[in-house]
Amino acid sequence: MTDDELEQLAQRLGARAAERLDVEATARAVVERLRAERTRGERIGISVPRQWLRIAAALVIAVGGGALALRITGRFHPRSAPVTAAGADLDGLSADQLHRVLDAVDQPAGDIMVSAQDVSLDDLNTVELRALLESLEG
Amino acid sequence: MPPAEPLAAVPTDAALIAAWQGGDEQAAAELVRRHARALARFLGARASGGGGGRGGGGDADVDDLVQETFIRAFRALGRFRGQCRFRTWLMTIGGNVLKDAYRRVRRARVVPLAEELRDTDGDPHEHAVAGETEARLADGLGRLPRMQREVFLLRAQQGLEYEEIAAALGTTPGAARVHFHHAVKRLKEQLA
Repeated sequence: MTDDELEQLAQRLGARAAERLDVEATARAVVERLRAERTRGERIGISVPRQWLRIAAALVIAVGGGALALRITGRFHPRSAPVTAAGADLDGLSADQLHRVLDAVDQPAGDIMVSAQDVSLDDLNTVELRALLESLEG
Repeated sequence: MPPAEPLAAVPTDAALIAAWQGGDEQAAAELVRRHARALARFLGARASGGGGGRGGGGDADVDDLVQETFIRAFRALGRFRGQCRFRTWLMTIGGNVLKDAYRRVRRARVVPLAEELRDTDGDPHEHAVAGETEARLADGLGRLPRMQREVFLLRAQQGLEYEEIAAALGTTPGAARVHFHHAVKRLKEQLA
């Protein structure tokens, strides 16, 4: 088989699929989908920068991981209790008690620090990052 | 002799893209009309055996693939810098759409996509004879590395220059030429 024959054969591949395509129906369908996305406020033609996705995912992981770690170690719970109680009935607290509540709120959450630097997302692509965000958002 | 009527100006792809970005839906429709068949041919060739490698399959058809490719392209227009022609850029997006379709199909384990796309109209014997070589070529395409397959189809089927192919696929014209020659060699062996 010569190069020309091979190219001619390649040009026939997919020809029937192209002939069968209803171009007008495709154009209508595409425009309707684009319109629907615009209506939903999606930004067609402007993509979310990949770096933003990385940062957002890192923040979600850092916050979620920190909250999880605090819950596991039990450090967060003892401090959160008085805040909840104070929120429920602050009028009944004395000035000293209010100071203690404020001090408790101002304290660092604990020794466990989860930094975005600890999270390696470099290996994730855009699709994986989106999936991660969606899974974290439930 | 009266002066000839000036031809109605045909908007370029760039003008249509700008119009769409300005909110003109008809500009988007015109871009679809202009490139849908070429895209269908490209996707049809790959889906009929050259899409995702050996096997594959799925319930997607070329119409859906074409539609999905355009949707993704319009979403990503902000990244299109005119590094190649709009049509060539569409083909590369179409390649990714098809790859994703095959990936979904492999997970679902349903009817092969190639079977779905096989033409059943017309004389079966004629199709059998004419289609045998095409089927072998499609099978051979499916066995090529992705870059060789893309370059081969863009060059042999779409008639693009190596510079254009290289810009679309993020490689050099020389490398594209090498990929093409490797693809031709392997396909000839397949068809011998």
